[in-house]
Amino acid sequence: MTDLFQVVPGNSPLHRMNPVTKIVLTLAVSVAAFLTDNLFVLLFLLAFDLMIGVVGGVTRKAFSIFKGLLKVSVFLFILQALFVRRGNRLFWIVTDEGLLTAAAVVLRLLVVCLPLALIMTVTQPSDIANSLVQVLHLPYAYAFTLTTAIRFIPQFMEEMSGIMEAQTARGVEFDTKNAAKKLGMLLPLCVPLLISSVRRTGATATAAKARGFELRTRQSGYKRYGFGAVDLMGFLVSAALIAGAALIR
Amino acid sequence: MIDIRSLTFRYDGAEEDALRDVTLEIPDGAFLGIIGPAGAGKTTLALSVGGIIPHEIRGDFYGAVKVDGLDTADNKLTDLSRLVGTVFQDVESQIVSSVVEDEILYGLENFGIPRDEIEERMDFALGQVGIAGLRHRTISSLSGGQRQKVVIASLVALRPKILVLDEPTGELDPSSSRQIFSLLRSLNREYGMTVVVVEQKIMLLCEFAERLAVMSEGRVVRDGTVREVLGDIAGLEAIGVNCPRSALFSSLLSEKLGREVPVAVNADEAVETARRIIG
Ligand SMILES: Nc1ncnc2c1ncn2[C@@H]1O[C@H](COP(=O)(O)OP(=O)(O)OP(=O)(O)O)[C@@H](O)[C@H]1O
Ligand SMILES: [Mg+2]
Repeated sequence: MTDLFQVVPGNSPLHRMNPVTKIVLTLAVSVAAFLTDNLFVLLFLLAFDLMIGVVGGVTRKAFSIFKGLLKVSVFLFILQALFVRRGNRLFWIVTDEGLLTAAAVVLRLLVVCLPLALIMTVTQPSDIANSLVQVLHLPYAYAFTLTTAIRFIPQFMEEMSGIMEAQTARGVEFDTKNAAKKLGMLLPLCVPLLISSVRRTGATATAAKARGFELRTRQSGYKRYGFGAVDLMGFLVSAALIAGAALIR
Repeated sequence: MIDIRSLTFRYDGAEEDALRDVTLEIPDGAFLGIIGPAGAGKTTLALSVGGIIPHEIRGDFYGAVKVDGLDTADNKLTDLSRLVGTVFQDVESQIVSSVVEDEILYGLENFGIPRDEIEERMDFALGQVGIAGLRHRTISSLSGGQRQKVVIASLVALRPKILVLDEPTGELDPSSSRQIFSLLRSLNREYGMTVVVVEQKIMLLCEFAERLAVMSEGRVVRDGTVREVLGDIAGLEAIGVNCPRSALFSSLLSEKLGREVPVAVNADEAVETARRIIG
């Protein structure tokens, strides 16, 4: 679970793409998903997402994220199917329109979340931050907050699993099937973890200030984030996705 | 020069002073080791040199710290940090990037080191700390000791006039610890960098540092050359500082013989002393 958020280094076209282009691509997929209600278009977008994973050389990761999201999706699908009352009744309280809307909602969720997670696995947080500052003129303080938060997720999970292991060794059984019970056991552990991580984030900010945080400007970055052929491709694909979704709907 | 005058500091919400009336002069080009039991105030003193205290950490601050004539309370942390580099005790929380290379670049970029100088500084820092091979690794894939080296390298790259390190070898094995201290010595000798290092491993301090300051309960209770400070073994033991065996040996010898025996700072000197006495 912890390695879910870790960046996989590489030299694929996706790795070489400007982080800004990757964000544009992610946004384009999301916009396309919200423009259309056509299930086939959504399925196509989902396939496109998985393609991103293949191109980025992280196929296995793409499918494992997909599987993770699928679990949430099943739950969401059932909820949606039960709550939509329009359309013709198929069985019990489930209607045909309910099923279709549920499918669209779930597909949309998958389509939007997958590329976001995938981009994170092929892009270093510092590259995202630096390029946002350099190209989109995002104030550095925001970029810093963003990277610190991203960096903090795996660290938090690492500590969480450490604590859970320690507790398991003392006889606490976390592998209960009852989700509510499990949550009840985990929540008390989260509080001290959160407090310590807030303190740690403060220490990180202090350390950054002691290394010239306040002097950093848009021009400070040593690495330059230029746009190349891959990026042109990225922008074209983004435009095509949005246009296609808008046309077919 | 670092000039600490009657410095008293109490953390916000604390019951007692962490530093009590500390006065200490550290001349340019010194290699000073700070030692003392847990809670003695070593970290607090180290943070005061670079101005982290009082700028970033709040509390009651009395007295004055001057670095190169700049009063730390009156100057901005950013200006002070051009002069003083600080390696913090907690390794994890001072890392700001996700890749080794970016971590080294961070300070260099911020302080506006010219582009054509950056590559050389990067190679120097990584090479000297012995982690050239880790340049493109992600921080999350590194061990604790490797992370500690990255943190040290990120400050070495900046080549500050004064380098303060708070237990920089806490996560390191003995041979890496020696390597770091050798590096500190060469920075001190070749670049004239003032080095102030808090360290629990007294053997290392005695071998590499020129001066020692011993802290206890918020005070600097001893301050002098390594030889001077090690002269009073009984006093150090009473404070709770573990002394090198060699110094213990020479002091026991001196007690037994009933006459002055020169302090043995390391094993070689102890052997030398023994040889001379046995004849
Ligand atoms: N953030 C804080 N808030 C309140 N009190 C603190 C804080 N940090 C340290 N202290 C207290 O100040 C005193 C000196 O602490 P300091 O961290 O300087 O000791 P130290 O010599 O570095 O110890 P160690 O060897 O454990 O690192 C201790 O009594 C400690 O409890
Ligand atoms: Mg300390």
